[in-house]
Amino acid sequence: MPKISLWLSSCLFVAITASAQDQTSSAPTAAVSETPASASIPSVQALLSKMSQDATRINYRGSFTYQNQTSIELQSFRVEHWLENGVEHDRLLFLNGPERLIVRDGQPVDCKAMGDKLLQGSFSQMGKTLIQMDQLYQFEIRGRERIAGRWSRVLQVIPKDPYRYGYFLSIDEDTGLVLKSWLVDENARPLERYQFIALELNPDIAQLKAQVLPRQHRAIADVTPCNPTEQTKPSAWQVAWVPPGFVFAGQRKLATGQAMLMYTDGLTTFSIFLEATTNFVPEGVGKRGATLANMSRLVVKDVVYRVSVVGEIPVAAAAKIAQNITGQ
Amino acid sequence: MSEQNRPQPLAESISALMDNQASELELQRILKASEQDAEVKAAWSRYQIASSLIRGEQAPVIGSDFAARISAAIDAEEALVEQPAPAAKKAQQGWFYQLGRVALVASVAGGMIIGVGTTQVVTQVASNTTVAPASVDSAVNLPSGINSPAINTRTVAVQTGYETRPQENRRVMFQPRQAGTTVSDEEVSRYVNQMIKAHSDNAAMNSGQGVLPYARVIITDEE
Repeated sequence: MPKISLWLSSCLFVAITASAQDQTSSAPTAAVSETPASASIPSVQALLSKMSQDATRINYRGSFTYQNQTSIELQSFRVEHWLENGVEHDRLLFLNGPERLIVRDGQPVDCKAMGDKLLQGSFSQMGKTLIQMDQLYQFEIRGRERIAGRWSRVLQVIPKDPYRYGYFLSIDEDTGLVLKSWLVDENARPLERYQFIALELNPDIAQLKAQVLPRQHRAIADVTPCNPTEQTKPSAWQVAWVPPGFVFAGQRKLATGQAMLMYTDGLTTFSIFLEATTNFVPEGVGKRGATLANMSRLVVKDVVYRVSVVGEIPVAAAAKIAQNITGQ
Repeated sequence: MSEQNRPQPLAESISALMDNQASELELQRILKASEQDAEVKAAWSRYQIASSLIRGEQAPVIGSDFAARISAAIDAEEALVEQPAPAAKKAQQGWFYQLGRVALVASVAGGMIIGVGTTQVVTQVASNTTVAPASVDSAVNLPSGINSPAINTRTVAVQTGYETRPQENRRVMFQPRQAGTTVSDEEVSRYVNQMIKAHSDNAAMNSGQGVLPYARVIITDEE
């Protein structure tokens, strides 16, 4: 009887979402017992904390695919992550095309970056109330999903304002690793997606370190020193408006001479790049994948600056941020 | 909870509709009820999510205002006024022609329900029975944002010799503020890609997803 099976299945669904909707009492017990491998449902906060905290503390080697909106091409990567003396090491190897490698070393695992603090709900700015992630996004746990042979919790993240995008995050129940991540626009179209296809925990670290990696196309990732809250605002620039919930996460001087200011709301990030120039400044919006760069010029005390707002944010947000930057 | 409050026959009708076994009458009743009762819409939405979960699919997300926007787009569309058919032809068609139209409209309504998926039933369609369904062509007003081409956008292709054909994923789409600006494609592309690389550090540190954001980085020859 399809009708009955449907009735049962809707009960089952009610049971799955019971914690959010407070309907536990009305769900028939018969249906509850059908819940597969009834792992208890974690709270959203617990899930976010696990994602930001636990995943950095495990050693793994995995493969994932990446695809974005402007390119139909599916790219694949191998990622290796291990800890040594409390410091994180990452290797990201491009598996398609010529051999390319990104090396990222030196982030102390105890470093609580601003994004981690926001995700773990432990950030409070001198007397101000705690910034609640759920004021920025609506979070919904959407059941379980098996990815790369592992069980994950699906977390749907819907932005509450037009200044950020939404997410689908499938978070490994065991390790907290994000096994699948979709960034979606306001019409629920995916802008980019990551998905693990294989994951091996606790690989032989000695073997990882000993392997011969491509030398020709290698990029060393810049790692910002771990003092994200040393300053609460940029030292040389005034950024009068950022979307609600975004906080200053640090600044850096790049080898190119640009000043880089970093902002995050816990899940979404953008960076502001500023440099004095005597050349013509092209103004407009550049876009690759989910990332856009709003480029403009700013004159401060007769000096022309090239100002770019770069991030996975909608153009309305980037343009408004750029309009509100002034010198000090 | 709510399932118990609703008159049982309607719940059964919704269930039947889910199984594609609803009669014409049941469909009309559901559509009518959904206009007045938000709970009917919500139930429909729950059933859809439940059934896709059962099938092991990822339930599609559609913003809650999706249906409202479709309705708005339909409203905004010029109503196609039916041309009066020649009298002789009309006589031939008679009531049977009218019945055909009703069936067509009903099937469009059914199609909308299936298409809308987990959101609300589009009540607008049912109440708009006087409007003949517009043929789908490029002139149709789509809901804002759907398939809208990026205006004044050009593709910046960068050849670095890595691939045998132009690498799609290193393209930067550039939309200059003023049309006719002469900017070197190469320069803009390199500049944006360099900033994306630096930004990846921020994203890796502050978005809770580990090094995944580094997949966005383009490694160029200079490095």
